[in-house]
Amino acid sequence: MHATKTASKAAQARKEAGTWLKELRARAGLSQVELAEKLALKYYTFISQVENGFGRVPTEQIEAWGRALGQEPSSFARRLLSYYDPELHRLLFEVKE
Amino acid sequence: MNVVQFPGRELPHDWQRSEMNALLAACGEQLDKGTVSGWEIGETESGDPQLYLLGPAPDHECILCVSRLGRVYVLEDGQGRVLCEHDALGSLSDQVRHALRHTKASIVARATMVWLAIKETLEERMDPVLGEPVELLSHMAPQLVALV
Repeated sequence: MHATKTASKAAQARKEAGTWLKELRARAGLSQVELAEKLALKYYTFISQVENGFGRVPTEQIEAWGRALGQEPSSFARRLLSYYDPELHRLLFEVKE
Repeated sequence: MNVVQFPGRELPHDWQRSEMNALLAACGEQLDKGTVSGWEIGETESGDPQLYLLGPAPDHECILCVSRLGRVYVLEDGQGRVLCEHDALGSLSDQVRHALRHTKASIVARATMVWLAIKETLEERMDPVLGEPVELLSHMAPQLVALV
Protein backbone atom coordinates (compact mmCIF):
# COMPACT_ATOMS: atom_id res chain seq x y z
CA MET A 1 0.00 0.00 0.00
CA HIS A 2 1.25 3.46 -0.77
CA ALA A 3 1.35 6.18 1.88
CA THR A 4 0.53 3.64 4.59
CA LYS A 5 2.54 0.48 4.91
CA THR A 6 0.37 -1.40 7.37
CA ALA A 7 -1.93 -3.97 5.86
CA SER A 8 -4.61 -4.22 8.51
CA LYS A 9 -6.35 -7.41 9.51
CA ALA A 10 -9.52 -6.07 7.90
CA ALA A 11 -7.70 -5.49 4.62
CA GLN A 12 -6.26 -8.99 4.72
CA ALA A 13 -9.70 -10.51 5.36
CA ARG A 14 -11.17 -8.47 2.48
CA LYS A 15 -8.47 -9.88 0.19
CA GLU A 16 -9.43 -13.40 1.24
CA ALA A 17 -13.10 -12.61 0.60
CA GLY A 18 -12.17 -11.28 -2.83
CA THR A 19 -10.25 -14.43 -3.70
CA TRP A 20 -13.17 -16.59 -2.57
CA LEU A 21 -15.63 -14.54 -4.65
CA LYS A 22 -13.36 -14.81 -7.67
CA GLU A 23 -13.25 -18.60 -7.24
CA LEU A 24 -17.05 -18.75 -6.99
CA ARG A 25 -17.38 -16.69 -10.15
CA ALA A 26 -14.96 -18.93 -12.00
CA ARG A 27 -16.87 -22.00 -10.78
CA ALA A 28 -20.10 -20.42 -12.03
CA GLY A 29 -18.43 -19.92 -15.42
CA LEU A 30 -18.99 -16.16 -15.41
CA SER A 31 -16.75 -13.35 -16.55
CA GLN A 32 -16.72 -10.07 -14.61
CA VAL A 33 -18.83 -8.56 -17.39
CA GLU A 34 -21.39 -11.37 -17.14
CA LEU A 35 -21.60 -11.10 -13.36
CA ALA A 36 -22.05 -7.32 -13.64
CA GLU A 37 -24.85 -7.97 -16.12
CA LYS A 38 -26.60 -10.34 -13.69
CA LEU A 39 -26.26 -7.72 -10.94
CA ALA A 40 -27.60 -4.95 -13.21
CA LEU A 41 -24.40 -2.93 -12.86
CA LYS A 42 -23.48 -0.51 -15.62
CA TYR A 43 -19.77 -1.37 -15.42
CA TYR A 44 -17.88 -4.46 -14.35
CA THR A 45 -15.26 -2.40 -12.55
CA PHE A 46 -16.92 -2.77 -9.14
CA ILE A 47 -16.66 -6.57 -9.42
CA SER A 48 -12.93 -6.10 -9.84
CA GLN A 49 -12.76 -3.67 -6.90
CA VAL A 50 -14.36 -6.30 -4.65
CA GLU A 51 -12.41 -9.27 -6.01
CA ASN A 52 -9.13 -7.42 -5.62
CA GLY A 53 -9.99 -6.96 -1.96
CA PHE A 54 -10.38 -3.19 -1.85
CA GLY A 55 -14.15 -3.03 -1.61
CA ARG A 56 -16.79 -5.22 -0.07
CA VAL A 57 -20.13 -6.49 -1.29
CA PRO A 58 -22.70 -3.97 -0.02
CA THR A 59 -25.14 -5.54 2.46
CA GLU A 60 -28.15 -4.77 0.30
CA GLN A 61 -26.54 -6.61 -2.63
CA ILE A 62 -25.41 -9.75 -0.80
CA GLU A 63 -28.49 -11.76 -1.76
CA ALA A 64 -28.19 -10.81 -5.44
CA TRP A 65 -24.48 -11.65 -5.49
CA GLY A 66 -25.14 -14.99 -3.81
CA ARG A 67 -27.84 -15.95 -6.28
CA ALA A 68 -25.80 -14.75 -9.27
CA LEU A 69 -22.93 -16.95 -8.12
CA GLY A 70 -25.21 -19.95 -7.61
CA GLN A 71 -25.01 -19.84 -3.83
CA GLU A 72 -27.68 -20.21 -1.18
CA PRO A 73 -28.02 -16.58 0.04
CA SER A 74 -27.94 -17.15 3.82
CA SER A 75 -24.85 -19.38 3.83
CA PHE A 76 -23.23 -17.01 1.32
CA ALA A 77 -23.98 -14.08 3.64
CA ARG A 78 -22.65 -16.00 6.63
CA ARG A 79 -19.38 -16.78 4.86
CA LEU A 80 -19.01 -13.14 3.76
CA LEU A 81 -19.66 -11.97 7.32
CA SER A 82 -16.82 -14.19 8.52
CA TYR A 83 -14.48 -12.08 6.35
CA TYR A 84 -16.04 -8.66 6.69
CA ASP A 85 -16.93 -8.74 10.40
CA PRO A 86 -15.27 -11.78 12.02
CA GLU A 87 -16.13 -10.68 15.56
CA LEU A 88 -19.85 -10.43 14.81
CA HIS A 89 -19.65 -13.76 12.97
CA ARG A 90 -18.00 -15.33 16.02
CA LEU A 91 -20.67 -13.99 18.38
CA LEU A 92 -23.54 -15.04 16.15
CA PHE A 93 -22.40 -18.43 14.97
CA GLU A 94 -19.50 -19.68 17.06
CA VAL A 95 -20.09 -18.68 20.68
CA LYS A 96 -22.26 -21.23 22.49
CA GLU A 97 -24.58 -20.23 25.35
CA MET B 1 -29.09 -3.48 -18.21
CA ASN B 2 -26.24 -3.81 -20.70
CA VAL B 3 -22.82 -3.74 -19.15
CA VAL B 4 -20.52 -1.35 -20.98
CA GLN B 5 -17.63 -3.26 -22.53
CA PHE B 6 -14.51 -1.89 -24.10
CA PRO B 7 -13.06 -4.45 -26.48
CA GLY B 8 -10.68 -2.09 -28.28
CA ARG B 9 -7.65 -0.96 -26.34
CA GLU B 10 -5.66 1.91 -27.77
CA LEU B 11 -3.97 3.01 -24.56
CA PRO B 12 -1.43 0.99 -22.59
CA HIS B 13 -2.82 -1.07 -19.71
CA ASP B 14 -0.85 0.61 -16.99
CA TRP B 15 -1.44 4.05 -15.61
CA GLN B 16 0.65 6.72 -17.21
CA ARG B 17 2.69 9.03 -15.05
CA SER B 18 0.68 12.07 -16.13
CA GLU B 19 -2.56 10.35 -15.15
CA MET B 20 -1.24 9.30 -11.75
CA ASN B 21 0.16 12.78 -11.10
CA ALA B 22 -3.16 14.42 -11.90
CA LEU B 23 -5.23 11.98 -9.84
CA LEU B 24 -2.93 11.98 -6.83
CA ALA B 25 -2.71 15.77 -6.94
CA ALA B 26 -6.51 15.82 -6.77
CA CYS B 27 -6.46 13.89 -3.51
CA GLY B 28 -3.29 15.47 -2.08
CA GLU B 29 -5.14 17.64 0.44
CA GLN B 30 -7.18 14.69 1.72
CA LEU B 31 -4.03 12.55 1.89
CA ASP B 32 -2.48 15.19 4.15
CA LYS B 33 -5.62 15.35 6.30
CA GLY B 34 -5.90 11.58 6.56
CA THR B 35 -9.30 11.23 4.88
CA VAL B 36 -7.37 9.26 2.29
CA SER B 37 -4.85 6.97 3.96
CA GLY B 38 -3.20 5.72 0.81
CA TRP B 39 -3.74 4.30 -2.63
CA GLU B 40 -3.26 1.11 -4.59
CA ILE B 41 -3.40 0.17 -8.21
CA GLY B 42 -4.91 -2.92 -9.75
CA GLU B 43 -6.72 -4.04 -12.84
CA THR B 44 -9.90 -5.70 -13.98
CA GLU B 45 -10.01 -9.19 -15.44
CA SER B 46 -9.68 -7.58 -18.89
CA GLY B 47 -6.62 -5.64 -17.83
CA ASP B 48 -8.21 -2.19 -17.44
CA PRO B 49 -6.17 -0.20 -14.91
CA GLN B 50 -7.80 0.79 -11.64
CA LEU B 51 -6.72 3.22 -8.94
CA TYR B 52 -8.14 2.67 -5.48
CA LEU B 53 -8.14 5.53 -2.99
CA LEU B 54 -8.25 4.09 0.50
CA GLY B 55 -10.05 5.44 3.54
CA PRO B 56 -8.72 5.85 7.07
CA ALA B 57 -7.31 3.13 9.34
CA PRO B 58 -8.03 0.55 10.56
CA ASP B 59 -10.09 -0.64 7.57
CA HIS B 60 -8.25 1.11 4.71
CA GLU B 61 -11.28 0.37 2.58
CA CYS B 62 -11.66 1.74 -0.93
CA ILE B 63 -13.59 5.02 -0.83
CA LEU B 64 -13.10 5.93 -4.48
CA CYS B 65 -12.09 3.88 -7.48
CA VAL B 66 -10.97 5.27 -10.82
CA SER B 67 -10.95 2.85 -13.74
CA ARG B 68 -9.84 3.56 -17.26
CA LEU B 69 -11.91 1.67 -19.81
CA GLY B 70 -10.61 2.39 -23.27
CA ARG B 71 -10.56 6.17 -23.38
CA VAL B 72 -13.18 6.67 -20.70
CA TYR B 73 -12.47 7.15 -17.01
CA VAL B 74 -15.07 5.81 -14.61
CA LEU B 75 -15.22 7.09 -11.04
CA GLU B 76 -17.05 4.90 -8.51
CA ASP B 77 -17.41 5.04 -4.77
CA GLY B 78 -16.74 2.13 -2.42
CA GLN B 79 -20.31 0.90 -2.85
CA GLY B 80 -20.02 0.62 -6.61
CA ARG B 81 -22.08 3.72 -7.37
CA VAL B 82 -20.90 5.38 -10.56
CA LEU B 83 -20.11 9.02 -9.70
CA CYS B 84 -18.98 10.12 -13.13
CA GLU B 85 -17.68 9.04 -16.52
CA HIS B 86 -15.30 11.30 -18.40
CA ASP B 87 -12.78 11.17 -21.18
CA ALA B 88 -11.02 14.30 -19.94
CA LEU B 89 -8.50 13.81 -17.15
CA GLY B 90 -8.92 17.38 -15.89
CA SER B 91 -12.67 17.00 -15.41
CA LEU B 92 -12.14 13.65 -13.74
CA SER B 93 -9.64 15.14 -11.28
CA ASP B 94 -12.17 17.84 -10.38
CA GLN B 95 -14.77 15.14 -9.73
CA VAL B 96 -12.30 13.21 -7.55
CA ARG B 97 -11.63 16.37 -5.53
CA HIS B 98 -15.35 17.03 -5.18
CA ALA B 99 -16.17 13.44 -4.24
CA LEU B 100 -13.44 13.37 -1.60
CA ARG B 101 -14.77 16.55 0.00
CA HIS B 102 -18.18 14.88 0.11
CA THR B 103 -16.66 11.71 1.56
CA LYS B 104 -14.95 13.71 4.26
CA ALA B 105 -18.24 15.38 5.16
CA SER B 106 -19.95 12.00 5.45
CA ILE B 107 -17.14 10.64 7.65
CA VAL B 108 -17.49 13.68 9.95
CA ALA B 109 -21.29 13.25 10.00
CA ARG B 110 -20.95 9.56 10.90
CA ALA B 111 -18.42 10.35 13.67
CA THR B 112 -20.76 13.02 15.05
CA MET B 113 -23.66 10.55 15.10
CA VAL B 114 -21.55 8.00 17.00
CA TRP B 115 -20.41 10.67 19.46
CA LEU B 116 -24.00 11.83 20.07
CA ALA B 117 -25.16 8.24 20.60
CA ILE B 118 -22.37 7.64 23.16
CA LYS B 119 -23.14 10.96 24.88
CA GLU B 120 -26.85 10.10 25.11
CA THR B 121 -26.11 6.65 26.55
CA LEU B 122 -23.74 8.14 29.12
CA GLU B 123 -26.25 10.80 30.09
CA GLU B 124 -28.97 8.17 30.50
CA ARG B 125 -26.72 6.20 32.84
CA MET B 126 -25.39 9.20 34.74
CA ASP B 127 -28.70 11.03 35.23
CA PRO B 128 -29.96 8.88 38.11
CA VAL B 129 -26.56 9.07 39.84
CA LEU B 130 -26.22 12.82 39.41
CA GLY B 131 -29.94 13.51 39.94
CA GLU B 132 -30.06 11.98 43.44
CA PRO B 133 -27.85 14.53 45.28
CA VAL B 134 -29.61 17.39 43.49
CA GLU B 135 -32.98 16.03 44.57
CA LEU B 136 -31.71 15.57 48.14
CA LEU B 137 -30.36 19.10 48.20
CA SER B 138 -33.65 20.54 47.01
CA HIS B 139 -35.40 18.78 49.93
CA MET B 140 -32.81 19.81 52.49
CA ALA B 141 -32.32 23.40 51.38
CA PRO B 142 -35.51 24.88 52.97
CA GLN B 143 -34.69 23.11 56.24
CA LEU B 144 -31.12 24.39 56.17
CA VAL B 145 -32.41 27.91 55.51
CA ALA B 146 -34.78 27.58 58.45
CA LEU B 147 -31.88 26.65 60.71
CA VAL B 148 -29.81 29.68 59.75
